[in-house]
Amino acid sequence: MKIDLSQFRQTFLQESAEHVAAMESCLLQLRSAPGDSELLNSIFRAAHSIKGGAGSFALTNLAHFTHQLENLLDRLRSMEMQATEEVIAVLLASVDVLHRMLDTEEAPEAPMPPDALELQQRIAALLPSEERVAPAPAAPPEAVGEHLYKIEFRPDRELFSSGTNPIVLLRNLAALGSVRHCQLHTEELPALVDLDTAQCYLSWTMELASACPESEVREVFEFVEHLVEVRIQDLAAAVRPEPLPAPPPAAKEASPAAAPALARPGPGAQPAAKKPVASGEAGSIRVPIEKVDRLIDLVGELVIANVMTAQMVETFEPSCLPRLRDAVAAMERSTRELHERVMSVRMLPVGTLFHRYNRTVYDIAQATGKQIRLEIAGEETEIDKSMLELLGDPLTHLIRNAADHGIEMPAVRLAAGKPVEGLIKLKAFHRAGRVVIEGSDDGAGVDVEKVRAKALARGLIGAETQLSDEQTIMLIFEPGFSTQEEVSSLSGRGVGMDVVKRNVEQMHGTVHFASVKGQGSTITIELPLTLAILEGLLVRVADRTLVLPLLSVVETVPLRPAEIVPVAQQGEVVVIRGESIPLLRMSRFLGLEREDTVAEAATEAAGGEIHRRLAVIVQAGQRKIGLVVDELLGQQQVVGKSLKRNLRDVAGLMGATILGDGCVAPIVDVASLAALNLFSFQKSGRVNSPGAGKPQPTAAA
Amino acid sequence: MKRVMVVDDAVTMRQMVSFTLKKGGYEVVEAEHGQEALEKLKSVSVDLVITDLNMPVMDGITLIQNLRKMPSMKSKPILMLTTEGMAAKKEQGKAAGATGWVVKPFDPDKLLQTLAKVLP
Repeated sequence: MKIDLSQFRQTFLQESAEHVAAMESCLLQLRSAPGDSELLNSIFRAAHSIKGGAGSFALTNLAHFTHQLENLLDRLRSMEMQATEEVIAVLLASVDVLHRMLDTEEAPEAPMPPDALELQQRIAALLPSEERVAPAPAAPPEAVGEHLYKIEFRPDRELFSSGTNPIVLLRNLAALGSVRHCQLHTEELPALVDLDTAQCYLSWTMELASACPESEVREVFEFVEHLVEVRIQDLAAAVRPEPLPAPPPAAKEASPAAAPALARPGPGAQPAAKKPVASGEAGSIRVPIEKVDRLIDLVGELVIANVMTAQMVETFEPSCLPRLRDAVAAMERSTRELHERVMSVRMLPVGTLFHRYNRTVYDIAQATGKQIRLEIAGEETEIDKSMLELLGDPLTHLIRNAADHGIEMPAVRLAAGKPVEGLIKLKAFHRAGRVVIEGSDDGAGVDVEKVRAKALARGLIGAETQLSDEQTIMLIFEPGFSTQEEVSSLSGRGVGMDVVKRNVEQMHGTVHFASVKGQGSTITIELPLTLAILEGLLVRVADRTLVLPLLSVVETVPLRPAEIVPVAQQGEVVVIRGESIPLLRMSRFLGLEREDTVAEAATEAAGGEIHRRLAVIVQAGQRKIGLVVDELLGQQQVVGKSLKRNLRDVAGLMGATILGDGCVAPIVDVASLAALNLFSFQKSGRVNSPGAGKPQPTAAA
Repeated sequence: MKRVMVVDDAVTMRQMVSFTLKKGGYEVVEAEHGQEALEKLKSVSVDLVITDLNMPVMDGITLIQNLRKMPSMKSKPILMLTTEGMAAKKEQGKAAGATGWVVKPFDPDKLLQTLAKVLP
């Protein structure tokens, strides 16, 4: 039978990537606890599992590399060697190599990658010489022909303790040829009263005619060598000469001098070489069985509810109505819960991502001579898988910034009266139905005046632009604020803060940055739990229906034209309980203004009231804006569909949904609306500055 | 149909062994580590156990020792999943009462042959 295991390859690669990540995190912990046997065992197990699977998928290089790694780890585990900084550095470099080997799938017969070769030498240098891997000796050639074996088989009394049945051994022997003679020896059987059924008192002598070489006969006893006495004599070969012993295997070992000496790749080079194939959007998800079980239960309930309603409809009479209503309500409950549970299948804890940054911080600390500690909290907070992936790069950038630019050199910190060790905190938690990810450091902070000066120099703001400190500091997220030449080799891959912001906004999230000079900075990223389903508030603007994500809605207030306060060159605001909130007329935003004003004029001409409009106050991050709409239509769950496939990204909209009546309604992206609104503070003539320029036509479609 | 329990913390390895055994006509019960294996054996009986040695919570050697103390498992075959070059572990396993072993990376056909070799 040919059994093809290749279908497990992808799972194996994914699992191995998790093992490598676990190794890395344990190695970093090992630095402060070099003799921790639990950590050493975990690292060993991870390497061991990778090696075990690598062989099954013909990933020869991976198998070889992990094998050598395992030798080193075994020495550490058995305390024959110490986990010194040097050893840990080599192991961490090995982790990088493993990452790369898993990312770039190994081609058959491919040579060992140069970086792996170089590391193998470094590992070999740490190991005593006899630990080098020697190739297995080739089996000696066997004489072919008919044999007549006389086999004396005397099991140990304890044979049964190994779960071995001697009958099975005899059966296996018989399968090798034909049994000419078999004799059972019962001499050792004690009297019945003394018989211990857990002991084996029997032995056998067998004559077996077979074409198999003696080695194959011996193999029958492979597992019980320590529990049997076996003598094999080839009666037919008594006159045949013994086969020549095989020549000793030539020691074939890559000479350490033969491989080119390669510079160890810097930490900055590693993620750039990383290819997100293994964890890509099309990749697989591992789901705990309990989650699946609950899904199946729910589907079961739905099926039952469905059958019930179907029956009732079949034989419907008016008296059934209350029961029908109950059944439909039950169905609705199940459907809603099913929705939630299905979505939770895509949810993963942020911990896996967060712990990656231990390494980032370690590398930067090593390279700069700083002392930095990364503190992680809320790692069990769950977030949509696709968002977790999108978060990776921005967080890397933020952590690098904090470690490289934020945290000061030890001497500077001491002089400032701070502890020598810098602290970076990474925290995740839920707030009002959203996931908040907060990164903070106790470093030098950002100088608001410097940001203002730089923004001015770069032409991002005019000399007359009035911005609060808070608004000024947010300018670091504007494209063109940070330039590549001032980014150091550690934190820079040409990614600026604007990319961080863009990635977060792509997930319909918001970024907020706060910093106190000399005390540190905090970046807060707020994200929706998931992108696919949301609780929506349906509103009418002119003759269109729009969906506002309910979670962003703070309150709804009636709006009389007289309450709208124009602010010179900066749009309109409404004052609610002393707070000025900028207004955005949705009709103008959607390019419906003309119809709108025409309708308004008509109403006015007819002597009607025109104060029926409402302001829906929404919050995005720290900002509130008021969206002016005509009517609230209701509240319902909507399934968001991307507009990208047909319309590309539309500013201000995060997608569209299909309503119960079959109409398509756009879903408003509050975060990007708020951002558009902020923009109007810098450059006039955009979006909501009255009378200046055309309204945004983007969303009119 | 003979029932086999596969004990391994490495998901891929466990799945591959199970897959091979199912193809070979065995019924399979899986466990992630020794403790779970013992737990499951309280309610299900098996004809053979294949276990990895390096596992969290309860390792393979301890599992084998415990299995040999159970009346129902006392004389059943137990195979260890070992890696070449782990001679010491193999000896420990044998001393604990293992019937035999399968070397990782395993060859599916060889695995089935080994099972056939030790199952009555």
